[in-house]
Amino acid sequence: MPRRRLPKYALALPAWLWLIAFFIVPVAVVFWYSFGYKPGLFGSHANDVLSFDRYIEVLTPTFFKTFLNTLQIGVAGTLLCFLIGAPVAYWMALKAPAHLKGLLIALVLVPFWTNFLIRTIGWMIVLSPEGWVSQAFQALGFNPVSILYTRPAVLLGVVYNYLPLMILPLYVAFDRVGVVLREASKDLGASPLRTFTRVTFPLARPGIIVGVLLVYIPLMGDYITATVLGGAKGNMVGQMLASQFQTAQNWALGSAMAIMLILITVGSIAVMGGLIVLGTMPIRRRNRVRLQEVSV
Amino acid sequence: MTGPDAASAAREIGSVVLDRVTKRYGALAAVDDLTLEIRAGEFLSLLGPSGCGKTTTLRMIGGFEHPDAGDIRISGQSVVALPPYKRHVNTVFQAYALFPHMSVAENVAYGLQQRRTSKADIRDRVSAALDMVRMRTFSERKPTQLSGGQQQRVALARALVNRPSVLLLDEPLAALDRKLREEMQLELKLLQANLGITFVFVTHDQGEALSMSDRIAVMREGRIEQLGDSSTIYSAPVSAYVAGFVGQQNIFDGTVAADLRGVHTRYGMLRPADPITRVSSGAAARAMVRPEFVQIGIDQPDTDANAARGRVIGVSHLGETHQFLIELSPELSLISRRPTPEAPDVSTGQSVWCSWRPESVQVFPADGPAAQNVASAETVPAVIAGKADHDATTADIPATETPAAATHS
Repeated sequence: MPRRRLPKYALALPAWLWLIAFFIVPVAVVFWYSFGYKPGLFGSHANDVLSFDRYIEVLTPTFFKTFLNTLQIGVAGTLLCFLIGAPVAYWMALKAPAHLKGLLIALVLVPFWTNFLIRTIGWMIVLSPEGWVSQAFQALGFNPVSILYTRPAVLLGVVYNYLPLMILPLYVAFDRVGVVLREASKDLGASPLRTFTRVTFPLARPGIIVGVLLVYIPLMGDYITATVLGGAKGNMVGQMLASQFQTAQNWALGSAMAIMLILITVGSIAVMGGLIVLGTMPIRRRNRVRLQEVSV
Repeated sequence: MTGPDAASAAREIGSVVLDRVTKRYGALAAVDDLTLEIRAGEFLSLLGPSGCGKTTTLRMIGGFEHPDAGDIRISGQSVVALPPYKRHVNTVFQAYALFPHMSVAENVAYGLQQRRTSKADIRDRVSAALDMVRMRTFSERKPTQLSGGQQQRVALARALVNRPSVLLLDEPLAALDRKLREEMQLELKLLQANLGITFVFVTHDQGEALSMSDRIAVMREGRIEQLGDSSTIYSAPVSAYVAGFVGQQNIFDGTVAADLRGVHTRYGMLRPADPITRVSSGAAARAMVRPEFVQIGIDQPDTDANAARGRVIGVSHLGETHQFLIELSPELSLISRRPTPEAPDVSTGQSVWCSWRPESVQVFPADGPAAQNVASAETVPAVIAGKADHDATTADIPATETPAAATHS
């Protein structure tokens, strides 16, 4: 008698059930709410009349400005994390002594041992006008500086909180490229820069994409970092969205904002991805080698 | 080497000179004061067990390791200060190291693209290089879609398309199965002869080194133990180490007789053709006889030396030869290989006499363990005397056809 086997997808079943129950269904509910309205002062949502009015409301200048602000912080923060994280990951994976690698990874993760909120609030103390950064400036004869509640403070907090999420996938990516292929490239006459652009970077690309998304997506929805360190200037969609659910009790508007955030996040990734593909097209075309002209 | 001829040979395009090169890893010297002159256009093998410094030597020529002392000159120019990408040298790596994100054609074109070659020129030269290794039809494939042997050919084309002065090969055949390896050995040798490029070939496989090389440098602990052509290395090894590493050996330990005419062992006297010069009388010595020189008979031979009685414990058919394993004592079993038409009709358990001619006995100081001791009956060695009149894929040479042993030792 043949042994009965579980179908292959059974392995993924727990994950699928989880995803459906706690992600797909809630998003569908939010999507549904976004077409409703707030029925009076004490109601939070109603769906007896459906309309796009909440989306129109989201696109009014007040809210639109916040969306733009979020996008700016999201893109700038991700870019900063990449510019700071990539060289560190590169060094850790390809240049650092092998016996130090474990220690270096542990050091990257050290900030994660403290609660996210506490580490962000910690920066308030450092950056406030009475904080030691300002005091150091004053000691050097400058005026007191207030970095807190500015855009640089927000970006500082973002880099601090999200850098490990960038470094770790990049480290894995560069590590996987390995030494041998880079030696082969140099052996064939490629300078270190050419080796990076033509071998190391293309092979690390999947990890780089993961790192960028891992920072960019949560950052778009984050509001703690921005609120704590940016005050009014750090207004992000996440914060506005939360207040619609918690304070204003306008679930319909909050839902519309949530859907808009998802669309903007996905849309901006698609646009950036498309731009990168288009922008590198000439380079890829130049490096392509076909022995016989192909007839298309 | 001195004199004007040697000096001009060392400046020729494709020559490589290692001049008292040392490379240390911590306290350990991987390469220890090594001097080696590789002639332009020759096929030189660096042969030795793992850890003997052969790969480090190759990597220093390629520029991937920097020597702690000494000078390296390629085509007469010191390259010690040059990074790998500025040396006119290309490498075929052990695991091929093909770029997985590029097609076969793009892999081969990579080196040319670094030199700002025109697109049309690149296409012509890549096509020619792929034709040379018979991989043209695979030009659009990715390396992962190729077999090991095919990847090997692409790696070769990728290196040779740049027309290097010197090609470095780091155990390039190690990952291939035996049949493919033997085919590639032949192809590599032919290619090298046609192109006239200097090949520096690193291997731990003595059969490979013997079948392909113009000269072999047998390495031991970061130094060159012996440098010579295949037949010299095979038939006139300078030490027990070289004798044991190149080809198989039957090894007898004993002491040198007072008259220097033989070695006393547990199994009787081993008497070489000429008086012993390498070891003084009464000293510990190691006598060696290659399996192809060991004859088997039922009757006791009429000699006072070079014979021993034993019991057949294994007979295996290797194709052109039969291999016999004869136990002389629990500590020593001899291997004998006879050409199949001449193989004696003996079977396992039978008591026999082994004998060998004085010309086949080599005596060395007992200076430590040999790299490769007497092998078991399962071992199938690929031993070739390195002469062009032998088929390079032949696994053995019959004793009667080997003139070398008689003239040396």
